[in-house]
Amino acid sequence: MKTLRRDRITILGELLLVLNDESKNDRIVLTRVQMKINVSYDRLKKYIGDLKDLGLIDDETSLRLTEKGKQYLKEYENVLTFIKHMGLA
Amino acid sequence: MPQYEEFRVIYEVTSAILCFTLVWFMTKPYRFTRKEQYVGLPLAFGLLGASYFFSAITYAQPSFLSDDLLWVQLIARTFSFIFLAATYYFSKKTSKNSQLSWNIAFSLIAVAIISSVIAIIFMPQFNFDNYRIASSYVRIFIIISLTYVIISTVRSHLAKPDSISLLTPLGYSLLAISQYSLIIWATDASMVAWWGALALRLSGLAIFLSVAYLTFYKSPKKET
Repeated sequence: MKTLRRDRITILGELLLVLNDESKNDRIVLTRVQMKINVSYDRLKKYIGDLKDLGLIDDETSLRLTEKGKQYLKEYENVLTFIKHMGLA
Repeated sequence: MPQYEEFRVIYEVTSAILCFTLVWFMTKPYRFTRKEQYVGLPLAFGLLGASYFFSAITYAQPSFLSDDLLWVQLIARTFSFIFLAATYYFSKKTSKNSQLSWNIAFSLIAVAIISSVIAIIFMPQFNFDNYRIASSYVRIFIIISLTYVIISTVRSHLAKPDSISLLTPLGYSLLAISQYSLIIWATDASMVAWWGALALRLSGLAIFLSVAYLTFYKSPKKET
């Protein structure tokens, strides 16, 4: 169970990063997101549902990050940078 | 309380506060990634902070459990650097086997800590004379552990050079030199080495705090 939880959190973080990156385009193409985070379509839909439930994205169609999502992503990026700065990456 | 003891209490409490502040930042990698290897980082700084706190008590109340507390702080310090070295060793390994190895290592370290504390309480060999000898060995052990951590962090820095990531090996180096200075002080009673060791420890901890501050509060604004 612990491994599953770790994987889920890591993938959700990566998914937020990809969605934020893709949001610079006119619209977010789900298959491109799927390729970037390398999960099956069904799992991707589930993770997107999780992000919606957590209030990190607006809705499952536009996939735009909410303010809470943007704040979480910023902190997530800072933590990844901190891991690198501490020489752990 | 004599002036020197008063100074040492303030110094040890300051060191402990710095460590406990660092613990808050060090928990973030685990909280955001759930990688169990990262648990070692807050544990290491937590134990280090606890060891400084116990030191402060021995200076403030020399008659209160003095020998036992001296040994407890020595054990806390020793295991903090064991956790630190283990964290750096396992953090770069990503296979499932390494996850299992980390879990085994973590359990063994936890058992060793509990056994050591029980031994201190019940075994009369843990007295002040033996403490002085043991603390010299511990200092050498800490220098060896820190040397491994320094090499590991320098390698990470060289892989992806960054001005802030250079501060981390510098911080660990100051802690290692501080331990070396204490060895010099123990052998020839050099007061320069003694005061140098105290200054180096605080500088090392301050560097880690500045790494955390620069990362979390001074990172360049990103378009989100």
